[in-house]
Amino acid sequence: MRTVFRMMLVASLKDRISLFYALLFPILLMAGLGYYFNSPDYHERLFIGVLALSTLFWAVQGVAFQVYEQRNRGVYKLLRLTPFPTVSFVFALTLARALLGLCINGIISLVCAPLFGLSFPLLGVLPLLAMLTVGLLCFTCLGFLVVNFARNEGQINMLSNLLQIPMVFGSEAFYSLSAAPQWLVAAGRCTPFPYFVEGLRAAAATDFAAWGVSLLIVSVFALAMLALASLTFQWDPDRTPFGFRPRKSAARG
Amino acid sequence: MKNVLLQATGLVKRYGSRCVVNGIDLEVREKEVVAVIGPNGAGKSTTLDLILGLKRKDAGNITYWREDYKAQVGVQLQTAPFFPKLSALDNLKLFAALRKRKLSVEEGVQILERCGLREVVQTEAARLSGGQQKRLAIALALVHHPKLVFLDEPTAALDPRARREIRELIRRLADDGASVVFTSHDMEEVGKLADRIVLIRDGRVVAEGTPEDLLHRHEVENLEELYLKLTGEADA
Repeated sequence: MRTVFRMMLVASLKDRISLFYALLFPILLMAGLGYYFNSPDYHERLFIGVLALSTLFWAVQGVAFQVYEQRNRGVYKLLRLTPFPTVSFVFALTLARALLGLCINGIISLVCAPLFGLSFPLLGVLPLLAMLTVGLLCFTCLGFLVVNFARNEGQINMLSNLLQIPMVFGSEAFYSLSAAPQWLVAAGRCTPFPYFVEGLRAAAATDFAAWGVSLLIVSVFALAMLALASLTFQWDPDRTPFGFRPRKSAARG
Repeated sequence: MKNVLLQATGLVKRYGSRCVVNGIDLEVREKEVVAVIGPNGAGKSTTLDLILGLKRKDAGNITYWREDYKAQVGVQLQTAPFFPKLSALDNLKLFAALRKRKLSVEEGVQILERCGLREVVQTEAARLSGGQQKRLAIALALVHHPKLVFLDEPTAALDPRARREIRELIRRLADDGASVVFTSHDMEEVGKLADRIVLIRDGRVVAEGTPEDLLHRHEVENLEELYLKLTGEADA
C-alpha cells in the first residue's frame, strides 16, 4: 500500500501543468476579488471561499483527468489482473492527491493571507487541516465518480461543471445566501460543499461545535463517495457503467 | 502427468450476432509452453481476454489451479499499458507492489537488465520506443516470478535482435519452471518455443498438439505450411 501511495504521489507531482494552475488560479482569484471588494470582512470570507474552491477543483477535476489518462492507457486492465483490491487503489490515489491538495492550500494561504493582512488563530489550524483533509478525500472520490461515468475529456469537463457549479452557487463560499430563494439553499445542502465551507469558517472562528458537525457531515459524504467510486470503478476504457460498448478493437484477433 | 494450471472449456463470446469465440477449450499444464496461433480476427486475443477475465464470457468454464491465482499469474497485453509520468523502474516497483511483492531498486534494475532495458531504467515509460515498451510490458508480467505467464504477441513489431532477446527470455522462463501461453504469427518462433500448439480459426480450435505431432498428422514439412493449410490460406 505504501509503495502504491508513494508512486501515485510521484505521478501526481510530475503533472506540473495541473499543479501550476491549481496554485495560480486561486491566488489570482483572491488577488482580483480581494482588491475589487476592498473590505476586511469580505477578505476573510473570500479567503475561506478561495481555499474551498481550490480544494474542490483540485480534487474533482484533477483526479478525474489523471484517472482518465491512466484508464485510457489500459493500466487498470493490468490492475484488475493483480490481487490488489480496487478500493485500496482508489484510496491510495485519493490519499496522495489529498496530501498534495493540503500542500497547495498551504502555499495559497502563505501567499494570500499576508497579502490582505489576514491572521488565523493558532487553535484553529488543526481543525482547519482536518476539515481540508476530509474535504479533499470527499471531493477526490467525487472526481473518481465523474470519470467512472465519462467516456472522454469533454464529458469529464461537462460532468464536473454540472456538479461543481451548483455546489458553489448553493454555498456561502463567496456571498451570503440570506436573500437567496429557499430552494437554492435546500438544493445546496444536498451536497457536501456548503458543509465544507461552513466547517472551514468554523475552524477559522474556533467554533468547535459547528466545526464538529460540519466535519461529521462531510465525512459521511466522503464515505458514501468512496463506496460509490469503488463500486462504479471502470477499469476498461471500452466499458461504461451501463455495459460494454465494443469498439472495433474489441473484436480483435 | 504434469499438473493442470488452467482449464478452459466451451468458451463462447459473441458481439451481437457475431460469434468471435465459439466453444474453445484450452488446457495449460505445469512447465509447458503453449502457442496460440491463427489468422487476424481468429479469436486468439479474445480467448486470452476471456481466460483472464478482461471480457465477460457468454458461456464456458474457466478453472485455475488455485483460488488466489492472480498472485501467480503474469500478463503482457498487446497494448503496452504503463502508469503515465512514471519511469520504467517506478512502473516496475508499482506493479510489484500491486502483486504484493516488495521490490528493491537493485532487484528492479536486475529485472530490467534481463529484459534489455538497463539504459532506460529512469526514463518515463511512455517515452520508450515501441520495442522497449514491449520489453517493459514483459518485465511487468514477470516482476513477481509468476507460475503462469500470458504473452499476447510478445515479439510483434520488434526488430530481429529484440525478437531474439524476447525468445531467449521466454525460453529462460520455461527453463525456470514457469508455464507460458503466448500468441504469435511467427511460425519460426512458435517452432522454437512451443511444446504444444493450439491453432484457432473462426473462433474454434482447428488443430492442437506438439509441433512434431501436427506436422506428422497433417503431412506437411514445416509449421508455415501447416498454418497455411489449416487456415485456408494456402492458395492465397
